[in-house]
Amino acid sequence: MSPDRAWKFANGASELSLEFFHKKAILNSLKIGISGVRGVVGETFTPELAVAFAQAFGSYLDSGRILVCCDTRSSGPMVFAAVVAGLLATGCEVVDLGVCPTPSLQIAVRQLMAEGGISITAGHNPEPWNALKFVRSDGLYLNAMQADELLDIFHQAEFAKARWNGIHSKVERRDAVAPHLEVLANAFDVEAIRQRRLTVAVDCCNSSCSLLSPRWLAALGCNVLAINDDPTAPFPHAPEPGTETMAQLRAVVGAGHADIGFAHDADGERLGIVTESGEILSEEATLAIASEIQLSRETGPVVTNISTSMAIDRIAARHGATVIRTPVGQAFVSEAMIEARGVVGGEGSGGVIVPRVQWTHDSAAAIGLILEHLARTEEPVSALAARLPRFTMLKHNIAVEPDRIHSLLQRLHEELKQEKIDYDETDGIKVSWQDGWVHARISNTESIIRIIVEAETAVRAHELLDWARDRVKR
Amino acid sequence: MRAIPSLKISISGVRGVVGESLTPTLLVRFAQAFGTYTGPGTIVIGRDTRTSGEMVRQAVVAGLLSTGCRVVDLDICPVPTVQLLVRERRASGGIAITASHNPAEWNALKFINSAGLFLADAQARQLLDIYHQGGYRKVSGGEMRAVEPSAGAVDLHIKAIIDVLGPLPAGARKLRVAIDSCNGAGSIVGPRLLDALGVEVVSINVTPDGLFPRGAEPVPENLGALCAAVREHGCDVGFAQDMDADRLAIVSENGEPIGEEYTLVLATQYVLGRERGPVVANLATTDALDAVAQSFGCPIYRSKIGEANVTEEMGRRGAVIGGEGNGGVIFPRINFARDSLVGMALVLHLMAETGQTISGLMAELPRPFMLKEKMACRSDKIRSVLRMVRDEYMQWPMDLRDGVKVMMPDGWFLVRGSNTEPIIRLVVEAKSEEKARQIIEEVRGRISEMGLN
Repeated sequence: MSPDRAWKFANGASELSLEFFHKKAILNSLKIGISGVRGVVGETFTPELAVAFAQAFGSYLDSGRILVCCDTRSSGPMVFAAVVAGLLATGCEVVDLGVCPTPSLQIAVRQLMAEGGISITAGHNPEPWNALKFVRSDGLYLNAMQADELLDIFHQAEFAKARWNGIHSKVERRDAVAPHLEVLANAFDVEAIRQRRLTVAVDCCNSSCSLLSPRWLAALGCNVLAINDDPTAPFPHAPEPGTETMAQLRAVVGAGHADIGFAHDADGERLGIVTESGEILSEEATLAIASEIQLSRETGPVVTNISTSMAIDRIAARHGATVIRTPVGQAFVSEAMIEARGVVGGEGSGGVIVPRVQWTHDSAAAIGLILEHLARTEEPVSALAARLPRFTMLKHNIAVEPDRIHSLLQRLHEELKQEKIDYDETDGIKVSWQDGWVHARISNTESIIRIIVEAETAVRAHELLDWARDRVKR
Repeated sequence: MRAIPSLKISISGVRGVVGESLTPTLLVRFAQAFGTYTGPGTIVIGRDTRTSGEMVRQAVVAGLLSTGCRVVDLDICPVPTVQLLVRERRASGGIAITASHNPAEWNALKFINSAGLFLADAQARQLLDIYHQGGYRKVSGGEMRAVEPSAGAVDLHIKAIIDVLGPLPAGARKLRVAIDSCNGAGSIVGPRLLDALGVEVVSINVTPDGLFPRGAEPVPENLGALCAAVREHGCDVGFAQDMDADRLAIVSENGEPIGEEYTLVLATQYVLGRERGPVVANLATTDALDAVAQSFGCPIYRSKIGEANVTEEMGRRGAVIGGEGNGGVIFPRINFARDSLVGMALVLHLMAETGQTISGLMAELPRPFMLKEKMACRSDKIRSVLRMVRDEYMQWPMDLRDGVKVMMPDGWFLVRGSNTEPIIRLVVEAKSEEKARQIIEEVRGRISEMGLN
């Protein structure tokens, strides 16, 4: 594995030494945890591993109907076959959704009254990776407790076994995209959007959104400028909306005089935005824009994780709404949304939950919400973006040997308590001031401590980062 | 320690019971081992109709793709079709997913080399070494290939047969043929081949659902329905296939099974009539075949049991026809594999060109009496049983290549351990039924005295 691949998760300055990369390359190419199982194909993500996890999931759900889809990575067919074999062996009825976005599968799980689903996608991770994401019967991801139960079954390795007269001998093929489009069309004011005849650029990253997003935009009467919409071609860039990956999209927005540009990740969860004036918005802005739009129509709780920008708090305050903060991870946000009857939610990584569509990240739903707003208000997206509070956010990763990482965080807890500094321990450690905050947590996917700081000014942000870094490395 | 009788890993492949020992993990590993063994080329796969076939297929596909192989998937088709396609596509190998005659709860992988032949002993041992060693080839996602479905394989197989043998001669009386495909892989191709040959077809058990309508082996006791169909519809002949359509048994126009040993005998009679040359059969095959070979002045050679051994010997001898007494006909000009479809075509051509009925053809053949028996036997006892038989019958000529075959003046018998089950197989052939029974009782008695379990 090359160092830059290992370092994919890091956005800020790195303190990893070169030896550490080599040591970490092995450690890092597999991650089994709450967000599923994720690894590098050809290294640790083997067909046996995929089979065993599928068997564990089939055993966990006590057989029943399970839907399976994948993104467009070239390892998709291998992982798909392994997952189907494992599920069939435990007596599950498998429905093959082919290549489709994860949110399409999540809707199909409910519509087909399935026991669950497995989405084969490493989301925003680069092409060499793949992963299994586990969806339960209500279309949401397994929560932390359920993921732990699944892991226990996986480790115990005593799986249900279907006998010859109980095993399903066929795999049914179904389309999940058309039903998803129908749900989307029923959730938004399609007629109003159609009348505006918006020009919309979209970068589908040659992944599963190629099959959904251009059709959705066409249904909304948009003039669609689609790029990278060939699901048989390789990823043109990292499958993650970010400043570097959205340069091509910005060029298309400019050349095509588009009203807005959207960038998808590999499985239809994260969304990036380019304004009509050619500004690439940070991925943190997607949820902020969605919150501003939704709260201007109805007030109610906004739900997001504790690492997401305080812009959300300022926007909510403007509209007299509250913000509920959860640990990092989509399952936490979804469950808190349902419990609090949130009106909008998501994460700073560009994932937005629009409850009218479903209680989980759905980038096509976010597109519907934003275009509906542009159509109704005739306000350009740059004006909307200008209304967002802007802060400086810095992300920094500190590599720590896996055997030391938890005790290190424990030491921080104790020190802060001794010094009587108030902090939030929803997920890791978050210390807040009037003008900023610091969040340190152990990554779900790598052996690193992530530090995120946000402040009103760049100077203050760097000050807070120095403070946090000194404490971690003390 | 408790034995696990439901899994058999051997040079014949891997065979086990679904829901017990034949897990997807085991299958994935064997497919990985095979992909490592062949290197990253094209692998052709096909399966019979067993209910577990889809699960096994997916596991095999996952294992093969992970080693960088390109997979050509024929889905449900006869084993000989897989073998034919391996050669047609110049593939690196093939995997046939079938437990042949084992009951419905079993399934298995059979491994095919780039020549379309089952792996020979040395090749199979190398594959097993790789399997046990566990260091399988891994390719990155970017190097992974896709699965290519291949819908036209069965048409290609039928065409290959018609190209060599042609349809039945015009002008001859149109034959009426009953076929029983055991709801197996032959269901989708057997009736179509008969149609292409130009006969009238009566088909039974041709729903490819993997639910066994009868015992899977095409032996007389399993052919009641076919015999009835032949009689009811006034058919000239009845053909019975097994699950994977490599073996063929024949029912005469009177609705009587002629015994699966005679499939190869009749096929040989037709082939040698067209073209003289060496004949090869395994050493458990009836002596009636020797009589047919001699009548054409052709030499006959015996090999160890198992398709791989027969084809290896056929290659060495340049045989024009060969096979096994269990109904496996190998006609190299079409397919270097046991092929029930080829067998049907050869026998129908023989009938059409001689104008004879099955019972008429049988009347001209010598009919020694054969008995086959199985005795349960612990795997670790098999060798001592064979040693005992060898020592007890020292006074007669013997063939020790595969178990112990003893050639006595008025008959022969063979004792060998199975590659696929914990049993001993006993085969006896003698000039009369009485003599055959006398021999088998004596041999069985001596073995039983040893205490096998």
